[in-house]
Amino acid sequence: MKRINDLENLAKKYRRELFEKLLVIKQGHLGSIFSMMEIIVALYHCGFVEFDEKKKEFLDKVLISKGHAAAALYPLLKDFGVLPKKEWDNWGHTNSLLRVFTNTSIPGIDVTSGSLGHCVGVGAGMAISFKRTEKNKRVFVIISEGELYEGSIWEALLFAKHHKLDNLTIIIDINSLIILGKTSDCLNLDPIKDKITGLGISVLEVDGHNLNDLISTFETSKKLGEINCILAKTVKGKGCKLMENEKRWHYYNLMSEDEIKQARKELS
Amino acid sequence: MLQRDAFIKEIIKKLNNDKNIFFLSADFGAAALDDLRELFPNNFLHCGISEQAMLDIASGLALDGNKVFVYAMAPFLSLRAIEQTKCGAGLMNLPICLLSVGIGLGYADAGPTHYSTEDFACFRAIIGSSVYTPADVPSTKLIAKDILENPKFSYIRLDRDVLPNIYPEITHSDFNNGYKVFGKIDNKKTAFISHGRMFHRCFELYNKEPNKFICVDIFRSKPFPKDLPKKISSCKGIVVVDEQSPSGNLSSCIFEGFSQQNLFPKIISKSLPEKYIFDNGGRDYLLNKFGLSNIDIIAAAKQI
Repeated sequence: MKRINDLENLAKKYRRELFEKLLVIKQGHLGSIFSMMEIIVALYHCGFVEFDEKKKEFLDKVLISKGHAAAALYPLLKDFGVLPKKEWDNWGHTNSLLRVFTNTSIPGIDVTSGSLGHCVGVGAGMAISFKRTEKNKRVFVIISEGELYEGSIWEALLFAKHHKLDNLTIIIDINSLIILGKTSDCLNLDPIKDKITGLGISVLEVDGHNLNDLISTFETSKKLGEINCILAKTVKGKGCKLMENEKRWHYYNLMSEDEIKQARKELS
Repeated sequence: MLQRDAFIKEIIKKLNNDKNIFFLSADFGAAALDDLRELFPNNFLHCGISEQAMLDIASGLALDGNKVFVYAMAPFLSLRAIEQTKCGAGLMNLPICLLSVGIGLGYADAGPTHYSTEDFACFRAIIGSSVYTPADVPSTKLIAKDILENPKFSYIRLDRDVLPNIYPEITHSDFNNGYKVFGKIDNKKTAFISHGRMFHRCFELYNKEPNKFICVDIFRSKPFPKDLPKKISSCKGIVVVDEQSPSGNLSSCIFEGFSQQNLFPKIISKSLPEKYIFDNGGRDYLLNKFGLSNIDIIAAAKQI
């Protein structure tokens, strides 16, 4: 396993690469991407998502339900050699394979997402298929806190609990912001933990930017032997002061030269 | 036999040698489904009364290489979960087959929440879908066999009631065409085109006056049968009869299919009205009251 310092540097590197790319293509959801960066670094780089080096493919599945932030995976997939570098370089050109919202035609992407609220159900379907066909595979679903407004999430959680899908882990990226403001002001979701434990599903809580904490939580999650939800407390736009906790950074905003310079400094 | 039982029996047959089939229900039953659940419990999933989650779960199962059948009452399987269907079966081109029971006014005793009079237009609009509306059990079986052999994103519109078998039966050759023409085509005749239950009303009228009419059972409306327009273009005109609301029903499909081949016959659409029906009286009573009686259909044919 990589050292924490190395993992932190990877998270920084991915943020930097995505910042520079989105600066060129002038679109994307940096705030939402940055809030889940340590989560995916811990999942992929610490062996929780098993990788077949020979085939250059991941054996376990990761579904980014918050599809607007799924592009966070591109630099990571590039590092693993799953996504060809030429595709990354080509992103932003007319015939680019990559786009802000991912889809299954992109190597390493397990689901087409973008419309919120689907992937807990999709993940439950995959997880039950793995169990009934005796495949030793896990499914990780990363959803945004705002997706909890979608009723289909709760329908699928009921299903997953009933079928004891111990190979399914739901990670909720709680950055407390949606497009129009704080979830607590727009339409309160709290207490999220009580609502999920009310379904009989175990809940783990974690600082979504603390890699040590994330690793130990994923280890606990695996050992639990039952479906569980991880509530990851995060900061929207983490790593770039200009964007942190700013609802307007749900989507891309034009920046002044000074702002770009400052962001680069923070991300370096 | 009910169409649903006929379809499920074919799935049961296939399950004997193919375990990569999953059957999902949103708390909707059938006699044959009881058998499937007993014989193959590992291949059945009750998803709760949750059509939206059922379609998402179906996507996950299909992404792992399974053939998936989802089953529920037509109005809820179709419109309630339409975006899940688009994002899963549609966008990812997954082999999910939706078995939609009780199309049109099938649930006449229940009222408009249970009517499925807009599903045809909605599902025809989803990219990549195949849409079938069989009018009897033999054609339902052919559809089931084909989808089990060649899994694809498909929407199967089944009637709630037992429908009589059509004679002569739909053959494999007809099945590949997507339609069957009854009667000899000539320029003095009007063509009735329909599917599902309404086909039987048209068939009855054709059988009474085969010198005046031909009758077409278009059990596969999407992909549209490309050779149908030229085949019947010499007819005097066409009356399309559909137990759907006026917008986007089978007549739209027929008009599009013909116009794409620069054929513009006179087409009269007979459908339900642009209103939600709250009247009681049973399905036949409602069909007769709201423009789909035999008299209404004959009157439309006379306008040609």
